[in-house]
Amino acid sequence: MPSVSPSVRKSITLTYHFAERESKARYKRSVLGWFWSFMNPLVTVAVYWFVFGAIYGAEAPKTANGNAESFGLYLFTGLVIWTLFTGLVGGSMVWLSSVSDLRKKIYFPTETALLGGAASNLVQTTLEVVVLLAIMAAFSNIGWTVVFLPVAMVFALGFGLGLGFIASVLNARYRDVSYLVGILLNVAFFAVPIVYTPQLLQDKDLPQTARVLLEWNPVALFIETSRDAVYFLQVPSWNRLLASSVWTVAAFSIGWVFFRRQSMSISEEP
Amino acid sequence: MTVGAITVEAVSKRFRLERNRPSSLKEAILRMGRSRDTDEFWALRDVSLKIRTGSSFGLIGHNGSGKSTLLRLMAGIHRPTLGSVETTGRLSALLELGSGFHPDLTGRENVYLNGAMLGFTRRQMAASMEEIIEFSGIRDFVDEPVKIYSTGMYVRLGFAVAVNINPDILLVDEVVAVGDEEFQRKCVAHMDLLRDNGTTIVMVSHSTDLMAECDKVGWLDHGRLMRVGAPDDVVSEYLANVDSNDKTLQAHHD
Repeated sequence: MPSVSPSVRKSITLTYHFAERESKARYKRSVLGWFWSFMNPLVTVAVYWFVFGAIYGAEAPKTANGNAESFGLYLFTGLVIWTLFTGLVGGSMVWLSSVSDLRKKIYFPTETALLGGAASNLVQTTLEVVVLLAIMAAFSNIGWTVVFLPVAMVFALGFGLGLGFIASVLNARYRDVSYLVGILLNVAFFAVPIVYTPQLLQDKDLPQTARVLLEWNPVALFIETSRDAVYFLQVPSWNRLLASSVWTVAAFSIGWVFFRRQSMSISEEP
Repeated sequence: MTVGAITVEAVSKRFRLERNRPSSLKEAILRMGRSRDTDEFWALRDVSLKIRTGSSFGLIGHNGSGKSTLLRLMAGIHRPTLGSVETTGRLSALLELGSGFHPDLTGRENVYLNGAMLGFTRRQMAASMEEIIEFSGIRDFVDEPVKIYSTGMYVRLGFAVAVNINPDILLVDEVVAVGDEEFQRKCVAHMDLLRDNGTTIVMVSHSTDLMAECDKVGWLDHGRLMRVGAPDDVVSEYLANVDSNDKTLQAHHD
C-alpha cells in the first residue's frame, strides 16, 4: 500500500486487529460459536412475536406481494437495524474502556478500538441480513429495493458510532454514563416502530411534540427505510432519506470531532 | 528533522489532581456553577531538550521529578499542556511492566497487537515472531494469556518486542531492572547493538552505571531540567545535590 500514509496504514491494521479480536472474543469459549450470534436475534423475534403478535394480536401490514405477512418478519426487519444501532452505542463504551488501560502505557489512535468493534458488529448484522433476505426470498417477497437495506445500515452505523464516540468519552470520565445510556436506549426502543406500526400512531390522539418525536426521530427513519427496502418493497421517500442523511452526517461528524479532541486526555483519567 | 531525532521545546505538563475531579454525573452536576478547584500539579515546567539521532540519553532525578512524564510525552501518551514534543521515525517504548499488553490475550497475540500499534502488519510480525520468542526466553508460555505471567516474564516479552522491531527511537523506563542478572546483561548488550545501528535511546534509571553508558545525561528536579551534559558531570552534580539535601534533613533531625 504505497499510496497511503504510514499513520493511516497503522490505523487500518489496528482497526482490523480490534475487529478480529472482538469477533473472536465474543464466542471464544463456546462450542457452538457463531450459532449463538444467531440465537440472540431469533429468540428476540420469537419472544416479541409471541407477546405482541400472538397475545395482543398485533397484525402485520401487507407485504408487497401479499404472501409474507408475518409479524415475526415485520419485527425482524426493524430489529436488525435497531440491534446495529444499540450495539454500537453500548459497545463503544465497552470498547473504549477495554483499551483505556492499554492507552495509558502506549500510544495508539484510540478511535481504532471503536472502529474495529463497529466493524465486528457490522459483520454480525450482515449475517443477520443474509438470513432475513433468505427468508424473504423463500416467501418470494424480494425485489430490487433491497439495495436500500445497506443504505439503512449505513445510516444506523454512522449515527450509532457518532453517539458512541460521545458516550464512550463521557463514560471514561463519569463512570455512571453507561447506566444512563442503558436506560435511554430502553426508552428509545419504544420510540421507534419495531413492535408497532407507524400507522397505529396516526389513529391515536397524541400531543404534537410526541408525534413529531416518534415519526421523525432518526432511528425510526432508518427502520422505516429498511421496512420499505425488504418488507414493502417500495422506494423510500426522498424526504426521509434526506433527513436520515442529515442526522447521520451530523451525528458522526460531531461525535468524531468530539472524540478526537477528548481522547488524548483518556490516558490521564484515574 | 532527521529520522530518530527528538525535540522537546518549552514543554510544561499539568495534571489535575484526582480528588478534585468529579467522577460521576451527579457530582459533576452538583458542582456546576461553583468555581473550579484549582488544585493542579505541574509535573514538568519549561523543559527544552534536543536529542540527536543515534545517541543515547539518560534521565536522572528523584522520584516524582518528572522523568517518567517526560518519557510519556515523548511516547505520545500524553499531550503537553504547553510547548511541543516532536519525534520522527518508528518509536518503541517500554514504560511500565507489560507496556501495551492486554491481560486476556496470549503472549503471541500481544506481540501482534504491539506490532500493530507500532505500525506493523500481521505478516511482518509473523516474520520476526521466532526471533522475539527466542529473545524473550519464555517459549513455553507464549501461548498462555499474559495475565498468568510473572513480572519477569512480562518484562522479557515486552523488551523482546521493543528491541526486535528495529525502532528508530527506543524509550526505556527502568523496567529492565526487573529481569534477572542474565537478562539485564542481554538487554544492555542489545541496546548497545541498537545504538550502534543508529537507534536513538532514551532511558530513565536510578542506576549510575547505566547512566555512565549514555552519551548525555539530563537531571530533572521537581519538573525542571537542571542540567544536561556529560554523564560524569551531571551524575556527580545530582549526587552532590542528594547529599546536601540529606545533610539538611539530618540537621533538622539533630
